[in-house]
Amino acid sequence: MIIYLLCFALFLIGLYGLITKRDLIKIILASGIMGYAANLMIVLFGYRRSGVYPILEKGKETAVMVDPLPQALVLTSIVIELGTTAMLVALTIKLFNKYKTFDISKIRRLRG
Amino acid sequence: MSEKQGLTVIVKTITRTILAIIFLYGFYIILHGHLSPGGGFGGGVVLALGFLSVLLAYGRPPVQKWLNIPVLHSVESSGPLLYVALGLLGIGAGGAFLLNTLGKGRLFDLWSSGFILPLNVVIGIKVGLSLFLAVWALTEWDPEKGDDI
Repeated sequence: MIIYLLCFALFLIGLYGLITKRDLIKIILASGIMGYAANLMIVLFGYRRSGVYPILEKGKETAVMVDPLPQALVLTSIVIELGTTAMLVALTIKLFNKYKTFDISKIRRLRG
Repeated sequence: MSEKQGLTVIVKTITRTILAIIFLYGFYIILHGHLSPGGGFGGGVVLALGFLSVLLAYGRPPVQKWLNIPVLHSVESSGPLLYVALGLLGIGAGGAFLLNTLGKGRLFDLWSSGFILPLNVVIGIKVGLSLFLAVWALTEWDPEKGDDI
């Protein structure tokens, strides 16, 4: 149970950074931390104590395996997170191009 | 190629030396995706990181001379088409989408998974090129020159 709470604490760290920071780069990093926390939690759902990796190999005995389904799910989630991050970076480059700053409190002329 | 662009000569030499090893490792992971951890996505990321190391060490103009970027765009865009074509082979054989029409081979051989190996190769090329081209598109803007994208 404690590991799930720790994952949630990591998620809250990312949320804190997302809300309080003013630098756009730090906001992107904070959103990445939130995604990592969610991925870690999903992988830990499939964990079994003293389980082996779920791959059949030559000469390997059948034993208790960890669940491969959350791992496959997280692989997709990582790809989507990568796309999100790339889009955030592209938007940040556009904003820096227009306003010459990463500080969101100085990006004001949003109308027109 | 001018010495101003990119990083120092040490970084350039080491990048030239290990680039082939990086690509070899990426292709190994792609081709053995059905036997060991890895597969199309992981191997494709390794390939993309090989391209990115060259981009970081040498800068943009030498990479533009080295690679034919429009052709890479075309190859990357044709990846999903190739995947769909491989999937339609199953329907053409009278079964479901992505039905395995190749032989299964012996267990633990390289040729032991039917369609998974060609699909892994397609996914690896697609992932590697699209990751590299995403970063390539992000480096297009030059902070020195300013507001002309």
